[in-house]
Amino acid sequence: MSSGTQPDGSGKPRVFPTLWNNGRAAFAFLAPAVVALAMIGIFPTVFALVNSFRRYNLAKPRDPTPFIGFDNYLTVFNDASFWGALGRTFTFLITVVPIQLALGLIIALLLHKPGLSGFKLLARLSLVIPLATAPAVAGLIGRLVFNRDFGVANAVLALVNAGPVEWLGDTTNAFIAVALMDIWQWTPFCALVLLAGLTMVPNEVEEAARLETRSRWQIVRYVQLPFLLPSITVILILRTADILKMFDTVFTMTRGGPGAATELVSVYIQRVGFRVFDQGVASAQAILLLILTIILARLYIKFVYREI
Amino acid sequence: MKMFRGKKVLGAIAFAAALFSSTAIMSTALSSSAMAWTLEEAAQPYKGTSIKAIFLDRPGYAAAIKLLPEFEKKTGIKVNYEIVPYENSRERQVLDFTGGGEIDVVLTDVVWIGEFAGNGWLEPVKTFTDDAKLADPKLKLDGFFPILLESFGTWGDEVYGLPFDNYSGLLYYNKCTLQQAGFDKPPATWDELLNVYGPKLTDQANRKYAFALQSRRGETQSADSFMRVLWPFGGSLLDDKFKSNLNSKESQAGLKFRQDLMKIMPPGIVDYDHAEAVNALAQGNVAMITEWSAFYSTLADPTKSRITDCLAVATEPAGPAGLKPALGGFSLGVNAQSSDAKKAAAWLFIQWVTSEEMAKPYVEAGGVSGRTTIYKDADIQKRYPFVQPMVASWDGGVPDFRPRFAEWPELSEVIAEWGTRMMLGNVSIEDGAKSIGAKVEEVLGQAGYYKGDKPLRK
Repeated sequence: MSSGTQPDGSGKPRVFPTLWNNGRAAFAFLAPAVVALAMIGIFPTVFALVNSFRRYNLAKPRDPTPFIGFDNYLTVFNDASFWGALGRTFTFLITVVPIQLALGLIIALLLHKPGLSGFKLLARLSLVIPLATAPAVAGLIGRLVFNRDFGVANAVLALVNAGPVEWLGDTTNAFIAVALMDIWQWTPFCALVLLAGLTMVPNEVEEAARLETRSRWQIVRYVQLPFLLPSITVILILRTADILKMFDTVFTMTRGGPGAATELVSVYIQRVGFRVFDQGVASAQAILLLILTIILARLYIKFVYREI
Repeated sequence: MKMFRGKKVLGAIAFAAALFSSTAIMSTALSSSAMAWTLEEAAQPYKGTSIKAIFLDRPGYAAAIKLLPEFEKKTGIKVNYEIVPYENSRERQVLDFTGGGEIDVVLTDVVWIGEFAGNGWLEPVKTFTDDAKLADPKLKLDGFFPILLESFGTWGDEVYGLPFDNYSGLLYYNKCTLQQAGFDKPPATWDELLNVYGPKLTDQANRKYAFALQSRRGETQSADSFMRVLWPFGGSLLDDKFKSNLNSKESQAGLKFRQDLMKIMPPGIVDYDHAEAVNALAQGNVAMITEWSAFYSTLADPTKSRITDCLAVATEPAGPAGLKPALGGFSLGVNAQSSDAKKAAAWLFIQWVTSEEMAKPYVEAGGVSGRTTIYKDADIQKRYPFVQPMVASWDGGVPDFRPRFAEWPELSEVIAEWGTRMMLGNVSIEDGAKSIGAKVEEVLGQAGYYKGDKPLRK
């Protein structure tokens, strides 16, 4: 008690020296985070890994749950619906992420321009609204926006004498509608991350470039973009992981339909895991998805990420 | 000797008298206890107990919630409820059963009874009806419509739940629109609906359609759309041996008929859920829908419907195989894993809310009771026009309109996916039926039906 605030001879006060010395304070500070992470992250993952090697159906509590080696993985490899859903997810990924990046970059560059600070503050604040919307709610909003008879989307099209478009009842259009909702929700995220990235560009460098060329594009391409690569890598990793596990928006908006048009891989895994309750196969699917996410993240870091 | 005999006789008389009086006392005791059964007394030991129920966001549950304070006041039992979207309600409860949970009053859809009862998750009703302290002498299980008690509450020969939220498919129509088109009564057959009423009531340029069949992927597609067109045409999902019957002539005729219906239905019908179909009628965009009886209160509510003055109800149209309307609904049962006190409290609630005595208040609050007597009430018949067609439907319905075995949810997923694909024309009716059939047989085969491991019970 008394030694905690005593000078230690060097003139600097030492705070709780004994605690610091044996690392208990560090432990105390870190422990809650580690425990929480273990409970909500590590334990479920290990549990899913173990389950992926077992025959385990929650809705059949009287059946035994033996270990069956790689049988569940074999089932997944032979399941055309799973690969169909995975393919659809990649189509979704390569459709929405480039658009989100491009739109996000445009918004970020506009907000990065000097002047009009009041408006920019307002714009930045309004960018947060889609991000703060729960994905399930975004799906419900999507259902209303793309309603054939009363929706905003068709009302806007009617202004230019187009439509009405059958959004959610048509396979292609339903996919587009879900993609548009995702773009609405996640473009602001890209914009804000890229805006933060733009502030990393040293002012002198940017000013020097402006003296060199009048081409806006050249400044973006050769000065700003290299500084943005770390931000872009972050966006790619997070968006890829998000889309691979995207469930709420799709489930509330189309429930994966019509047919299987919007059945992304997570919606499919939910069906197996919580409708059929086959936890074994669903866990195997989830583990494969985890491996895929890790591989993609490594590839992004290898090919996109550059230190400046 | 004489004395001895006399003694013997006296003894016998005394014995008989004692026997008689004791049985008399016992029987009076029994009958007086029967006479005196009251909810208040039965609930006395459970005062302060709180129980948890799973409810849906539908009129029957809103009605029960309105009546709850009366039960809580009488019994001192607190009924907590959680309102869950239908599509998540089975998941919510199965996870609760397997994870050891908090639900005491279990909500069982007609198609879950095989799974819930078969897995031992539901307490048989017998446990409570055998207990004189808990069983209301006026319970009268035979006062329920037999089809409802059998279909929603019974698995094997055992009763597990009491019918609570009861539906029959009905034809709701806009009689003003029909009259303008020259029809003074609704179509009696599906064929009439398509070929006579359909063309006259459909005006695509003005976005008016004769009919809407809710067909969104999910249970709506498999139950409300797919199964609805099989039965009236003499078809079915399974044959007697539990093999697929979808490629039979009758089933194919039903599915083909559904494709023909697309001509008189709004585009995008594969994305119509109950809400969209009900709204389409309520807003005057379609002239007829086949929907559950429970939606009457929505359609008759002037704040939600523009056609309250034109709303009329009839039985679903008949097919070549007769009147085979959709059957659906929920029973309330007791979770077998709850504590004894909570089990008793839950039973008292279920018994009360589904009782004959509460049938009238329940119907007046917007619910649809499963009790027969209430619908003989002339006042109720007059105030609720859906009653007569509904009772007629229940008298002629198919108890296994959808198979009630544990495998249904898995089959429902398959049907929902391929059913919408068929409607969209992504796959032909024959090929779609074959795909569903193959998957159905695979699932039922794995479950052991073909090896004789399981009785063929649906």
